[in-house]
Amino acid sequence: MKLKQISLAVLLSGAVAVPAFVQANAEVEGLIADPGNWAMQAGDMYNQRYSKLRQVNDGNVNKLQVAWTFSTGVLRGHEGSPLVIGDTMYIHTPFPNKVFAMDLNAQKIKWKYEPKQDPAVIPQMCCDTVYRGVAYGDGKIFLQQADSMLVALDAQTGKVVWSVKNGDPKMGAVNTNAPHIFKDKVITGISGGEWGVRGFVAAYDIKTGKLVWKGMSQGPDSEMLIDPDKTTTWKDGKVQPVGRNSSLSTWKGDDWKLGGGTTWGWYSYDKELNLMYYGTGNPGTWNPSQRPGDNKWSMTVFARDVDTGMTKWVYQMTPFDEWDYDGINEMILADINVKGKMTKALVHFDRNGFGYTLDRTNGALLVAEKFDPAVNWATHVDMKSGRPQVVSKYSTAQNGPDVNTKGICPAALGSKDQQPAAFSPITGLFYVPTNHVCMDYEPFKVDYVAGQPYVGATLAMYPAPASHGGMGNFIAWDAGTGKIAWSNPEKFSVWSGALATAGNLVFYGTLEGYLKAVRKSDGKELWKFRTPSGIIGNVFTYAHRGRQFVGVYSGIGGWAGIGMAAGLEKDSDGLGAVGGYRELAKYTDLGGSLTVFALPDN
Amino acid sequence: MIRKLTFAICLVGAMSGGAVAEDKLYTVVDGFKVDANTMKGFRAWRAAACDRCHGPNQEGMVGPSLIQSLKVLTKAEFVQVVMEGRLEKGMVSFKENPQVVQNIDGLYAYLKGRSDGAITRAKVQEISSE
Repeated sequence: MKLKQISLAVLLSGAVAVPAFVQANAEVEGLIADPGNWAMQAGDMYNQRYSKLRQVNDGNVNKLQVAWTFSTGVLRGHEGSPLVIGDTMYIHTPFPNKVFAMDLNAQKIKWKYEPKQDPAVIPQMCCDTVYRGVAYGDGKIFLQQADSMLVALDAQTGKVVWSVKNGDPKMGAVNTNAPHIFKDKVITGISGGEWGVRGFVAAYDIKTGKLVWKGMSQGPDSEMLIDPDKTTTWKDGKVQPVGRNSSLSTWKGDDWKLGGGTTWGWYSYDKELNLMYYGTGNPGTWNPSQRPGDNKWSMTVFARDVDTGMTKWVYQMTPFDEWDYDGINEMILADINVKGKMTKALVHFDRNGFGYTLDRTNGALLVAEKFDPAVNWATHVDMKSGRPQVVSKYSTAQNGPDVNTKGICPAALGSKDQQPAAFSPITGLFYVPTNHVCMDYEPFKVDYVAGQPYVGATLAMYPAPASHGGMGNFIAWDAGTGKIAWSNPEKFSVWSGALATAGNLVFYGTLEGYLKAVRKSDGKELWKFRTPSGIIGNVFTYAHRGRQFVGVYSGIGGWAGIGMAAGLEKDSDGLGAVGGYRELAKYTDLGGSLTVFALPDN
Repeated sequence: MIRKLTFAICLVGAMSGGAVAEDKLYTVVDGFKVDANTMKGFRAWRAAACDRCHGPNQEGMVGPSLIQSLKVLTKAEFVQVVMEGRLEKGMVSFKENPQVVQNIDGLYAYLKGRSDGAITRAKVQEISSE
């Protein structure tokens, strides 16, 4: 395998790039292979969020207790998780995007980095000033700042090695996503779907920060890095070339230039196929009547060649979005049994409420089923065309501008947002934090002004009616059949990334602030602990000096915590996100801390 | 600026004077039918996506309740905050947004009407458009 890579590298990039290519790859792969580290935000390149550690297991998790805590000094929504590389933990914060390198032996801060950023970016960040974490590779920590600066820090000293500007924050192009290290590249995206930003994914050289390639989400084929004859999609029940102008032909005039399709989720990488996978967000304004057409390739799974950026295949989940069902949620790669056949699968829990299983080698659609029974905007996904079958009553385009379309499930938050699911290769099941929230949605005409919000809809959100009254579920999902294996109701949206372990456990956090451990097989709750604030961070685990630790950020905020992040007042009708989430104030307040757990040390 | 200031002074004076002067700021019938100026303010409220932070009913989400804020802010303070923003707190500067700048008086009238309780629901329509 290594030989093949080296010769391929020589062929592709010449001698200069070889050392970086091989070193970065082998280094990160080696770190991931040791479950004592948590070397990537998802623990691996497949986005599985699975750990082989089993010291903490279903037999002893009830003894789990706090080992240590750390305050980040920032009182905003804390998404993502720290990384652990050997004896060092790298802790990040929301804006102003501080990074701490914590020496786990001495329990002492080795270095701290705090960038200077224009506060003008704060109001431009959708849904709180979240940041989903740093990446590690080639002896460097990669920080993707809110103001779009991508910065490489020396992992030993915290000194800036290089930095590059990834977008124009004055036009609303800011960042909330974690960068990803695949091979010798730092891969990042962009936010600003509500500011008329045109989305892209960019790859920077890990050594120098030089732009290697950039693939747009829409526009001319050349700018999207789409080959009309070789890039494929699912059409008429088979994988076919997309053809010429596959994006331009689905937009009115120049609307694609404000076409959204931003890219703020969690990306994955398959080394064998040399493909990276990610999703794109909503297409420009939330008023669908202003942008007739399928608006390709917004709301789409992209598979790109990591070296060249060329698009191998695309699959659009929600053509002509009418509900803000961004397609950015993580793409989880797993080799699983799909309808009786072992398959190199890509599994994706979309905001639109459908759980998709695709063949990740070519983008063939295999399974598309609702992962929340409340989903009502579409009856089903037609497996031949791959298109959801929209219910007219819930179509905000058919009902038109200035009409309030009521009772749409899910809400714009989606049946699931960015909070990543976990996969256990032992059970073959996916463990999914979900939202159980519906909405009323009224689109209206809006004009684009550069650097100003570009939304064009007003909406109210509330718990799914005629259900358990809560706003979330934590579910186990069989992606081979598209069925829910078990489902635990939750009072609030589950906005925390899940962690599955070889100890027969799944961990997740709740908005009230509980970290919970449940049994993989049936979801039985075995342990919980109340942390200082609501949890929207992702659970992670590592080992140090022979002990397994499990950790999570607390710090309510993000879209889930909109009712909490500042100055909440009562609303008159008791409905809406304000009404629903107002209840949160009875459980938690703002925070910013890391809590790390372990079994008693005796 | 002078014109705005004068207007604000008039307003502050008028507010202590009671309901008569407030009726001049906005006209509302049945709680949701409003004059043309206030209607323009409502359209600016929507176009600028204020509801994303202040909530669809102005009662606050990430941003504070404007029902409360408009009881405290003078018009001059209101204009200042909308134009310059409160960046550290996440409030956008709208001075580059023509629809907000041109309709700032209507926006104030609309939000003041909501805060006063005279406009009883967030979505309004123009009196003449019935």
